[in-house]
Amino acid sequence: MRALDIKLFRDLWHVRGQVIAIACVLGAGIATYVMSAATLDSLLTTQASLYRQYRFPEFFVGLKRAPASVRDRVAALPGVQVVEDRVIAPANIELPSYAMPVSGSIISLPEHAGALNLLHVHAGRLPEPGRDNEAVVSDGFAKAHKLIPDFPLNITINGKKKVFRIVGVVSTPEVIYQLAPGSIVPDFKSYCILWMQREPLEAAYNMTGAFNELVGTLTPGTQVEDVAAAIDAILRPYGGQGVFGRETQISHRYLSEEFKQLGVMATVFPVIFLSVAAFLLNVVVGRLMATQRGQIAILKAFGYSTASVVWHFLKFTAVIAALGLALGIAGGHWLGSGMAQLYKDVYRFPYLEFSLRPGVLLVSALVSIVAAGVGTVVSVMRSAAESPAVAMQPAPPGTYNISLMERLGARWFAQPTRMILRNIERRPMKSLMSIGGVAMSTGILVLGGFWGDAVDYMVFAQLRRAQLEDISVTFVGPVSNRALYSLASLPGVSYVEPTRSVAARLRFEQNSYRTAITGIEPEGRLRRLLNDKLQPVEVPPEGILLTDHLGKMLGVKPGDTLTVELLEGSRAVRQVPVAALVSEYIGVAGYMHRDSLNRVLREGDSLSGAFLQADMSYAPEIYRRLKAMPAVAGTGARAQALESFYETIAKQMLTFAFFNVILASTIAIGVVYNTVRIALSERSRELASLRVLGYTRGEVAYILLGELAVLVFLAIPAGLLFGRWLAGVMAQMSQTELFRVPVVVDPSTYALAALVVAVSTVVSAAAVGRKVSHLDLVEVLKARE
Amino acid sequence: MAGGTSTLESVVAEAVFSARGVTKVYDMGEVQVHALRGVDLELFAGEMMVLLGPSGSGKSTILNILGGLDRASGGTVLYRGLDITKARDKELTQYRRRHVGFVFQFYNLIPSLTALENVAAVTEIADNPMKPAEALEMVGLGDRMHHFPSQLSGGQQQRVAIARAIAKRPSVLLCDEPTGALDSETGVIVLEAIDRVNKELRAATAVITHNADIAGMADRVVHMSNGHVTTVEQNEKRRSPKDLHW
Ligand SMILES: Nc1ncnc2c1ncn2[C@@H]1O[C@H](COP(=O)(O)OP(=O)(O)OP(=O)(O)O)[C@@H](O)[C@H]1O
Ligand SMILES: [Mg+2]
Repeated sequence: MRALDIKLFRDLWHVRGQVIAIACVLGAGIATYVMSAATLDSLLTTQASLYRQYRFPEFFVGLKRAPASVRDRVAALPGVQVVEDRVIAPANIELPSYAMPVSGSIISLPEHAGALNLLHVHAGRLPEPGRDNEAVVSDGFAKAHKLIPDFPLNITINGKKKVFRIVGVVSTPEVIYQLAPGSIVPDFKSYCILWMQREPLEAAYNMTGAFNELVGTLTPGTQVEDVAAAIDAILRPYGGQGVFGRETQISHRYLSEEFKQLGVMATVFPVIFLSVAAFLLNVVVGRLMATQRGQIAILKAFGYSTASVVWHFLKFTAVIAALGLALGIAGGHWLGSGMAQLYKDVYRFPYLEFSLRPGVLLVSALVSIVAAGVGTVVSVMRSAAESPAVAMQPAPPGTYNISLMERLGARWFAQPTRMILRNIERRPMKSLMSIGGVAMSTGILVLGGFWGDAVDYMVFAQLRRAQLEDISVTFVGPVSNRALYSLASLPGVSYVEPTRSVAARLRFEQNSYRTAITGIEPEGRLRRLLNDKLQPVEVPPEGILLTDHLGKMLGVKPGDTLTVELLEGSRAVRQVPVAALVSEYIGVAGYMHRDSLNRVLREGDSLSGAFLQADMSYAPEIYRRLKAMPAVAGTGARAQALESFYETIAKQMLTFAFFNVILASTIAIGVVYNTVRIALSERSRELASLRVLGYTRGEVAYILLGELAVLVFLAIPAGLLFGRWLAGVMAQMSQTELFRVPVVVDPSTYALAALVVAVSTVVSAAAVGRKVSHLDLVEVLKARE
Repeated sequence: MAGGTSTLESVVAEAVFSARGVTKVYDMGEVQVHALRGVDLELFAGEMMVLLGPSGSGKSTILNILGGLDRASGGTVLYRGLDITKARDKELTQYRRRHVGFVFQFYNLIPSLTALENVAAVTEIADNPMKPAEALEMVGLGDRMHHFPSQLSGGQQQRVAIARAIAKRPSVLLCDEPTGALDSETGVIVLEAIDRVNKELRAATAVITHNADIAGMADRVVHMSNGHVTTVEQNEKRRSPKDLHW
């Protein structure tokens, strides 16, 4: 091996602590990227593959009731590939172990080979033909209640109660997420989806020879919009509710919104982390190279060309970059597959296809090479440009000044403290770089922790300020306001507020969005609309209020006029002015004055649900009574919604954020250690000289570490501000239909970020302090690099 | 660069270096330091020259300029007829690589390489070098080849530096206070090594020293003061370093 290569490896070994720390910083940046990309790619690949394998339909349409022959008319339409009719019936389920009423939907099993919406059997088996009392249940529900087949279940269809045997637990892409009608968060506990043979279901739901839902696929190249009008025309006489595509199908919509959310996190986190890591790598490598100034001069003096010197040091950083890259890819792969596995459980995918694109590895390699390369070349070129005669001499004594603090009158400092202050001021760029590096790592720690705060705040705003009911009740259809009296008479219920919810399509210019419009009470106590400061917004007698994100999606502002197309009841199409935009962090929706909505619906004083304020110690009794009311389709509890939110949506975000906090800590620790370590090597001669002059170890350590403490002390607040800014950027970028992340950072998150940095400073300082006390005075002074 | 020497060939002995009116000004912002104020100097092939002068008189500065480590502010320096004050950086690098051997007062070894490897770091890029071990033998360090700089005494380190400087068979050997940090006995050993290289390799050698006694080993002694060459003496007879005492 050539002498210079030997030097390379010895030098690397000599600064191995730093090499590892730098590699960790880069590795954590790369790992964030690889992990995010792998997780997201795996989820998307798996989703696509599940959709294909289980034949997830491309269009859906519900209707009142149509004879089987109508199906063939739809099937004959050009562009339609496969059509399948089925029966879907609302049901009430009695689960003895669970206090709240459970509502659900029963779907007829796909009958033919080549059918759509195939079921994956997780446990047990499918109902056998001819067995009228067998059913299978969705795995989400089974998991939430820890149900194992087979077991009996009381199911009420169309008012008739019957005992079914649940013989299996199944899943299908259609119900990866299940939401009760009108609910904004997935609900696996009080909402259930079941499948049974078609014949008994038809019989129970008075649908013999008929169907009430069509699903289908399209020929390649056909869009839902291309066939929607024709299908709707055929189904209109049968109460067709309008064809919609996958993007409106509730499970798909939730899943893709979540993936979008994840996608944003999986882009923004790595971009920030990787830029921070690249920047730090650049700085750290640059400073490491600066300590090699003397050696660069020797090589130059002996006739090594600048290019070969640069090349030599490039190899040095290449080793660090390669190490970081390897760490990053291995770590990212490991975390990514772990996280994808976690998500597999969250979504209850039957399998997971792990995917890591080669392009991701390529980008990682490129970033490492560029980040490490630029720092090295710039710094080595700078040293190499000096005439060797100058560079070889020990650096001339720097020009110091009386520090600003001293000039401002603080003259009582002892010499060591003066040295600290003057040293910081003498090299403001270097001090700034150190502060910048530590501040950045503090910032990304804040960014990682901010998600938890944001989620808590969203919940706080939604469930403690806007949705104040204890229990919500959904009726099977619109009912008259007499229903309010029976609710008010329930034990423990102190207040009842009616609500009217209706599916609608909102159009503005070329934009349209299918959602629900909720009619609420103007002086509502339990359901309030809020502005972005969480102040109640008045509900005007006319006009529609949209959540701000929906307004943005439709491109409307207050004063514009929307086309509202009601999808049930009167099916009226109306021009409605937008009265105001309201702030909601979760979901998107439209709101109207209930009277105004009812006027559009031409239904008089009707309601489709109610909010109850109740003494929850009466809850079991209230639920028992609600179960007995035939008009009640579903019941929700706020506590339940909270739990469900944390268990589903929040969990997937927080899992992701948690991994990023770990990686952010790695970066922070690496940066701090390097800053301390480089300070030592830059100043070991000076410190050794002081020791020779009779300074104690403690005093010398104080000079070095005191400077560091000052820098870190300045860096932390800067970093907290930077983190807050990053949180704002990230929140801005991660707005989806599912949520708008509020920019809220809890003091505890700031405190934690500061603490991680402070602790890693202390630990690094302790490690370096030991080196200071072991400074070999003779060696340091004898050896001129 | 080593080519066209014919015009100077006629001189009694060939002048390897010929410096005329060399000035060097360090611009320190408020003050300008005139390190060299017009130096005229020759170094002839195969000769041993000693540079004497008080601290700050400009000895190191002129030596660094001759060696292509630094640039003159004015004047010309001909190396075998070629003006190195006008050479580009690349050419200077080639010049140092092919022709110049340096020995510094503070050794300037690469701390992470052993004695042998330090020498090899230079022989690897030279055209016609000796074996690194051979160079170390020449300075009497055959038994210390695998020691790191930190495991060697000052004199030993300086001898490694000399071995490193001569291993490429340089045509000029420039030594800046090679014995400055050494006691007299070790100093003698180091000077013997330089003397031997000068004689065996016929390298034109310039040695800076503060020690007038060392001047005895030179063919010529150049005195510098305040950025000028004041006097140049020709020694009748070159004394062996062994006979020097201080
Ligand atoms: N990089 C520099 N910047 C400014 N002035 C310099 C620099 N290097 C040398 N000088 C000045 O140039 C003058 C000549 O310096 P030089 O190093 O050549 O002296 P010297 O004769 O070698 O002295 P010594 O015997 O102490 O080594 C001195 O006054 C010195 O202060
Ligand atoms: Mg000198």
